[in-house]
Amino acid sequence: MPALWLLLILILLGVIGYVVGRARAVRSAGGNVSDLHSLPNHYGSFVALSVVVPALTVMLIWLLAQPLVLNAIVSTDFPVVAIPENASVDLVMSDVRRIAEGLDKAEAQGVLDQSPLNTIADDAGALRGMLAGVGVALGADVTPEVLSASQSYRALAASGQGMMTGLVLLVALVGFAYAIRRTHKEFRARNVVEAGIKTLLIFAASIAILTTIGIVLSLIFNTLHFFRLHPASDFFQGLVWAPSFGGGSELGVLPLLWGTLYISLIALIVAVPVGLFAAIYLSEYATPGVRAFAKPLIEILAGIPTIVYGLFALLTVGPMLMSVFGRDGLGWMQAGTAVITAGLVMGIMLIPFVSSLSDDIINAVPQSLRDGSYALGSTQSETIRQVVLPAALPGIVGAILLAASRAIGETMIVVLGAGAAARLDLNPFEAMTTVTAKIVSQLTGDADFASPEALVAFALGMTLFVITLALNVVALMIVRTYREQYE
Amino acid sequence: MYDMNKQETAVTQKEIKFSARDVQVYYGDAHAIKDVSVELEDKTVTAFIGPSGCGKSSFLRCLNRMNDTIDICRVEGDIKLDGEDIYHKAVDPVQLRARVGMVFQKPNPFPKSIYDNVAYGPRIHGLARTKADLDEIVEKALRRGAIWDEVKDRLSAPGTGLSGGQQQRLCIARAVATEPEVLLMDEPCSALDPIATAQVEELIDELRKSYSLVIVTHSMQQAARVSQKTAFFHLGSLVEYGETAQIFTNPVDERTESYITGRIG
Amino acid sequence: MSDVMSNPGRGLQTQDARARRRHRAEVRFRAYGVMAIATGLILLVILLGTIVSNGTGAFRQAFVEIDVYLDPAKLDKKGNRDIADIKKVSTFGYAPLAQQALLAEIEARGIETPLRKAKEMKNLLSSSAAAQMRDLVIAQPEMIGQTVSFRLLASSRVDGYLKGRVMRENIAKDKNISVEQLDLTDALIQAGVITSGFNMAFITGSDASESRPEQAGIGVSMLGSLFMMVVVLVLSLPIGVAASIYLEEFAPKNRLTDLIEVNISNLAAVPSIVFGILGLAVFIQFAHLPQSAPLVGGLVLTLMTLPTVIISTRAALKAVPPSIRDAALGVGASKMQSVFHHVLPLAMPGILTGTILGLAQALGETAPLLLIGMVGYVATNYPGGLASGFLDPNSAMPAQIYEWAKRADPAFYERAWGGIMILLAFLLMMNIIAILLRRRFERRW
Repeated sequence: MPALWLLLILILLGVIGYVVGRARAVRSAGGNVSDLHSLPNHYGSFVALSVVVPALTVMLIWLLAQPLVLNAIVSTDFPVVAIPENASVDLVMSDVRRIAEGLDKAEAQGVLDQSPLNTIADDAGALRGMLAGVGVALGADVTPEVLSASQSYRALAASGQGMMTGLVLLVALVGFAYAIRRTHKEFRARNVVEAGIKTLLIFAASIAILTTIGIVLSLIFNTLHFFRLHPASDFFQGLVWAPSFGGGSELGVLPLLWGTLYISLIALIVAVPVGLFAAIYLSEYATPGVRAFAKPLIEILAGIPTIVYGLFALLTVGPMLMSVFGRDGLGWMQAGTAVITAGLVMGIMLIPFVSSLSDDIINAVPQSLRDGSYALGSTQSETIRQVVLPAALPGIVGAILLAASRAIGETMIVVLGAGAAARLDLNPFEAMTTVTAKIVSQLTGDADFASPEALVAFALGMTLFVITLALNVVALMIVRTYREQYE
Repeated sequence: MYDMNKQETAVTQKEIKFSARDVQVYYGDAHAIKDVSVELEDKTVTAFIGPSGCGKSSFLRCLNRMNDTIDICRVEGDIKLDGEDIYHKAVDPVQLRARVGMVFQKPNPFPKSIYDNVAYGPRIHGLARTKADLDEIVEKALRRGAIWDEVKDRLSAPGTGLSGGQQQRLCIARAVATEPEVLLMDEPCSALDPIATAQVEELIDELRKSYSLVIVTHSMQQAARVSQKTAFFHLGSLVEYGETAQIFTNPVDERTESYITGRIG
Repeated sequence: MSDVMSNPGRGLQTQDARARRRHRAEVRFRAYGVMAIATGLILLVILLGTIVSNGTGAFRQAFVEIDVYLDPAKLDKKGNRDIADIKKVSTFGYAPLAQQALLAEIEARGIETPLRKAKEMKNLLSSSAAAQMRDLVIAQPEMIGQTVSFRLLASSRVDGYLKGRVMRENIAKDKNISVEQLDLTDALIQAGVITSGFNMAFITGSDASESRPEQAGIGVSMLGSLFMMVVVLVLSLPIGVAASIYLEEFAPKNRLTDLIEVNISNLAAVPSIVFGILGLAVFIQFAHLPQSAPLVGGLVLTLMTLPTVIISTRAALKAVPPSIRDAALGVGASKMQSVFHHVLPLAMPGILTGTILGLAQALGETAPLLLIGMVGYVATNYPGGLASGFLDPNSAMPAQIYEWAKRADPAFYERAWGGIMILLAFLLMMNIIAILLRRRFERRW
């Protein structure tokens, strides 16, 4: 763990810097703290920040860049002839990295000393066996080219590690010296420290943006990669989803989108009336006692992890529906996993979501509107139906859109409850599958990441991201304008 | 003070619309209205005046049982409308409110069209059989609310788009559309500018011909301008009730005098 | 036009047909509300009831208590008690000893059964029984030659028979148990050889292979979840608080901060599986961090939890009245000092509550973990230390539950429900802490 050790050394240097900086500032004022421009802590913090922040930044950048640079160097040196047919450089490089990693592990466990590498290189199978022994399974035997590439990879990585350690320590020491030199009683340490802290705060705030950029970039690059291997028109217009890892897959998104929307629709049909009426009752009719009792209980449903709902669909609701609609009952259902199973369970999950959002929205309708309606002699239900709900309508629509987005993006319930067959069908008792379920199945198999069958998951992810993002943006906008209207 | 009330109410000549006896209002433990007894006349504007928190609005809200919508509020005593106890168990507050309309401090048009705002009451009470009937009721109400000429060309525009004064007149039109017998107004002009206030006051004077009006106001000038009878409330009690002219020129109780001359309130 | 209008003395106590109709509508509407609430509550009861009724079985386990003679002839053929030689005897060498011991027990107690061969006892004992004996012998080689009493795991079928999962009617095609064996089981229960007891190994133990559901436990994946939560806490609390302080206290109102705000509220609604894709692409494909490692899981869940933490932290900061800031600035504190010395401590209970709720959400999340390889991995080894806890492949509680739900043997479903009970117990605990924090420190300004 050299990186971890380096981190600890940096922290230690920072602490030393704090103590030294503080002492030096106090000394420069002749021990009279009130002569200092800033508090002694500020001088200490100034030195500590100067030591840690630049060094840590260098370290992070290095750690991120090193694998990329190593990859580039090693892959350009790799003899083209040694790349097997129907495999890409990426694929070979991932093998190289795995072997390097395995050799590192083997060395750490002391297995490597017993059998010198040169002899292993002659016997490719032995290397594979040895690596399997330390927990790195290889798909194929190791060619000498790959082995030598991975050896040079290891050497480069080791020297890179050393260079990084040196550079980071150098930066830290330079920061130390610079900060100590500037530490003097006239120095406005507080302003500098506060500016530094503010920069750190800004950096923290921009992590949210970086996350979004990361999501978008990782989706876009892999999606484009997929569209180079598989025509985009086939993906967006294809009516058949039939991946086959041997090649010649039909990867049409429409059956998946249909399954997603169908299940979400059923979920909303369950959740919206129940959730909305629950919200109306809680906000308009319930006594404070009933509200304090029922609201948290219903919201427990929202705190239950989706894996629980998935299991509930698979093991409870599915068999229950089978006993009514299955072979022993009406004969409409072939298996417990079906659109209706997933839809019903997802509906249960969404009830508290709809009810608590609508509850907030209904509570935001000003009392004066209700008073106006009561004063005209309307009953409570007339007031709710004809004044409160129309006034709250935009907000409620926003809440339902958010619920829809949640339904479309839900994974565990459909993975366990909806079945695996992609179908364009209207029968809710049939098994269908969704975008999210297929993302999981395409990325968790043994497929290699360069094949269209795996890359299609990124295109599916992109589709999912765009749809839910659009729903969220519209919904949040509606809700925000609605709130402002009554503020 | 109690005797004095009796003496004052005995002067009345017009028909009595509301008569209240020993009304108490509690908000939780707080005793907001104490022993209020008063008789309100038909075809008259009665003004409730008094300092903030004196209970005049609370008492007003007892008259159409709007206090029912507040959970912690409790009302005791008798309030009779045309001799019927409005707090009797069998009374439906919904029917009561159809007969006793109310206009609020802040204009509160529904987020619907001007037409639908006015038509709302007649629709829920089933006052119109046909669309033509409804159109007629709406037009009549808007004319009574003295706003017809301003809105007749844009009846389908939202009521919330009108100016403050127009909104308040729309709310008055909405209230008269259900043909109430009494109209309660809770500081109807406090959110309006002077010009809009003048328009609403003019309208109140006009409405007196057909309804019994009760208006809560902070402004003594307004009370003097629009009302025939005035009731002065102080600390939850009814201090003095009588002809407006008499209350303002020759009050009996010294608290009334202090308030009118600006020493308390 | 209408009766009501033409009759000015409309009575207050008499209801006309229309009023009655309106009141019936009122009652109906109210009933819909009550029905909705009742539906929600009933569903909650059904869900929790299903979990508890299916899951409690996982906490009980059938054991076989027998005295086994550790035969030196089988376990240490050379007779020199050399540990290297003893280790050479695999579990296959131990299994017959247990079977013979069970047969001997049956004969000693005079239980009548058509099963007369030691091999026919195989289906009563878990295949882990041999491993349990072997572990003891390797730890204490001097035990060889002695008769030791063991509390061995019964097989999953016997366990299921005790719990009512395995029934006589549907075992006709089952190769792993026969009617005679069930008769024998009944007799052994009578005799007190097969007992049922609390299953501590389920809570502390590790996952087992497909064929040994009776041995599977959630302990290792619980550690995996723990390491992930440490990562989430250590990263999301400071970053979330720093981001919120900037946005709430320092950020100028401009397009960039607007963008960040819209972005955060949108990130909070992005499907969790998308964060899994991000984790796969960035942490595993791009940065080459180890697959299935709690560190990567923690990083992904941090990104997912961060918006929740930021939103609740900002609400907590907003709830601190401006007068506190003014007071600090008024005595000459800098803006930074007023925030860190006064606003932040006052907002801390709210921030912690929000963070705990964010952690609870992260603890129950499954979908992103599927993509970074925390499923499909059989978590059999306890992490060896801190570093290996973060970096070595592991599972997590929800991923382990998913794994069990996918397996073919229904005996694993019971484990999955039991796992859910443990997961929900953790979530309940976190929520209670959050509620107590809020109650204890909540301030009204």
